[in-house]
Amino acid sequence: MVAQSARNLWTIFRHEFSLYFGSPIVYFIGALWFLFVGVFFSISVASFNQGAPLTMDNTISTMGFLAIFIAPGLTMRLISEEMRTGTHELLLTAPVRDWEVVVGKWLGAWGVLTVFVLISLIFPLILTFLGSPDGGDILTAYIGLWLLWGMALAIGVMASAMTPYQIIAFIISLALLIGLWLAQAVFNFIPNPLIQEIASEATIFSHFQNTMVQRGIIQVENLVYFIGVIAIALFLATNFLGTRRWRA
Amino acid sequence: MIQVEGLTKYYLGDQPAISNLSFYADRGEIVGFLGPNGAGKTTTMRILTGYMPASAGKAIVAGYDVMRQSIEVRQRVGYLPETVPLYKDITVWQYLDYMAGLHGMTNPDRTDRVEEVLDQVDMLDRADSLVANISKGMRQRVGLAQAIVHNPDVLILDEPMVGLDPDQRREVRELIQNLGEARTVMLSSHDLAEVEKVCTRVLVINRGRIVAEDSPEALANNMQGMQRFYVRVDNDAAGKLKELVMSVEGVAEAKVDDRKGGLEVIATRDSNARPAVAALIVSNNLDLLELRPLDMSLEDIFLQLTAEAEAELADEDEWDDLDDDEFDDLAEDLDEDEETK
Ligand SMILES: Nc1ncnc2c1ncn2[C@@H]1O[C@H](COP(=O)(O)OP(=O)(O)OP(=O)(O)O)[C@@H](O)[C@H]1O
Ligand SMILES: [Mg+2]
Repeated sequence: MVAQSARNLWTIFRHEFSLYFGSPIVYFIGALWFLFVGVFFSISVASFNQGAPLTMDNTISTMGFLAIFIAPGLTMRLISEEMRTGTHELLLTAPVRDWEVVVGKWLGAWGVLTVFVLISLIFPLILTFLGSPDGGDILTAYIGLWLLWGMALAIGVMASAMTPYQIIAFIISLALLIGLWLAQAVFNFIPNPLIQEIASEATIFSHFQNTMVQRGIIQVENLVYFIGVIAIALFLATNFLGTRRWRA
Repeated sequence: MIQVEGLTKYYLGDQPAISNLSFYADRGEIVGFLGPNGAGKTTTMRILTGYMPASAGKAIVAGYDVMRQSIEVRQRVGYLPETVPLYKDITVWQYLDYMAGLHGMTNPDRTDRVEEVLDQVDMLDRADSLVANISKGMRQRVGLAQAIVHNPDVLILDEPMVGLDPDQRREVRELIQNLGEARTVMLSSHDLAEVEKVCTRVLVINRGRIVAEDSPEALANNMQGMQRFYVRVDNDAAGKLKELVMSVEGVAEAKVDDRKGGLEVIATRDSNARPAVAALIVSNNLDLLELRPLDMSLEDIFLQLTAEAEAELADEDEWDDLDDDEFDDLAEDLDEDEETK
């Protein structure tokens, strides 16, 4: 059972991962990402010269922030396109479970992001030539970045399972991610401590920038947050895919 | 093998797409599923392949229940959907390799097998072409290759001949016949002539019901045994033309043509229905304006079979809860009825 699922996940992952690198869009997105991140890194380097501490905080925050826009673009295709072109008919009649399809596709997208992240390790490498940055801090921030992206991509997969229209999937996941990023700012206007507390727990800020990036710590609740949202999003995506069978 | 009992599917709305279908297909059989547009062929096949659930009824495919043991069924079924959906951005080889992988095949067997099926459908020389760049007929063949790559016990092919030229049809036909020797094959079509060439048995479906089941030869004879003609009279004030025509020996159906008020008549071919109708009209002092033969379209044949089946259904209240043996008996009776007509 487990071996079978692992094999199915691997098959789907491999297919999706290579589809990404077979299309020009990934190279375009990758180029855009490195352009952005490179600019922010250069600004940081300029500030190091003026005596600021040698950290990756701003650069990694930027890489995290880009998830809002890039993750929806990377994932919108994943399930929507299959539903639109009808290829899902064969996928859903192959001996793979719906959750394996969803998770395999998500892993494919996360794999692409992982490639981006690995390439971006060039930036901390540059830092080591400029001085001696805190390796633990950088590692923690990178773990946060990787989890944040996993979450953003899971939300994107969910949106893609909701509709055969890629552009609608893009808008849904973009809206959800902006919401998760800005919830705190919005709810700060509501003078109710409980609501503010919930909003702050729900935002990406408090689990990513404020802790893993800036303070360099990983708390259990940060892990629970990211892994929990990933699990919920993928669970819902599996259900949306399942309802496709009923509507056919 | 395939065994279906009382299969019913409602989409939105209260009209079922298929209603209370029961049939079987054994190993070594190539069963044709013949029916006009919207008959319910694709719906049935999608249920049998585990793509979507039925609203009611039961289906056993390759020894497993399609509802409760979907994965086991899917491991053993090869499916060619009507639209032949293929990923366009990868090569033919990559596509088949992926489909084989999804069916749990691992290397090195997988590579060998992909090569083998590509050879079987005569696409080995196009293995490295992008799917987007191959012709419709080739896509059809790749679709077929995908359906057989994991060596399934049961093959379900939704209109496999569409888009092929006559040579390719012959090749695909031979391929299906070879595959069918040790497997159960079910294929759908609108085309009796096509089904006749490849199938060992034919189920005719219309409006979601099976309206006939027979060997292709018997069915073809039966269908060709019907004639259709058009009759129109001038002074039928009493409107008794239809009644008169229906009373003629061999006439099975008469349908009023709304535009001109004539009648479209379906009758058995060997009866002398046409002259008999003419004689009857004259002897009833009606002015015969028109009496000409019409082509028997497949659509008419389906309608005809459907009408017969519905009459049968009205007679046989217990049709709904027949078991297999009774069903067979009844099917035989039906055949005999039709032969004696
Ligand atoms: N996804 C769907 N939603 C609602 N109704 C559907 C759906 N698919 C099919 N139907 C209806 O169900 C009936 C049977 O359709 P089906 O596609 O099974 O027929 P078919 O025999 O395959 O026809 P064709 O020869 O045109 O392929 C039709 O009335 C059709 O309109
Ligand atoms: Mg169809």
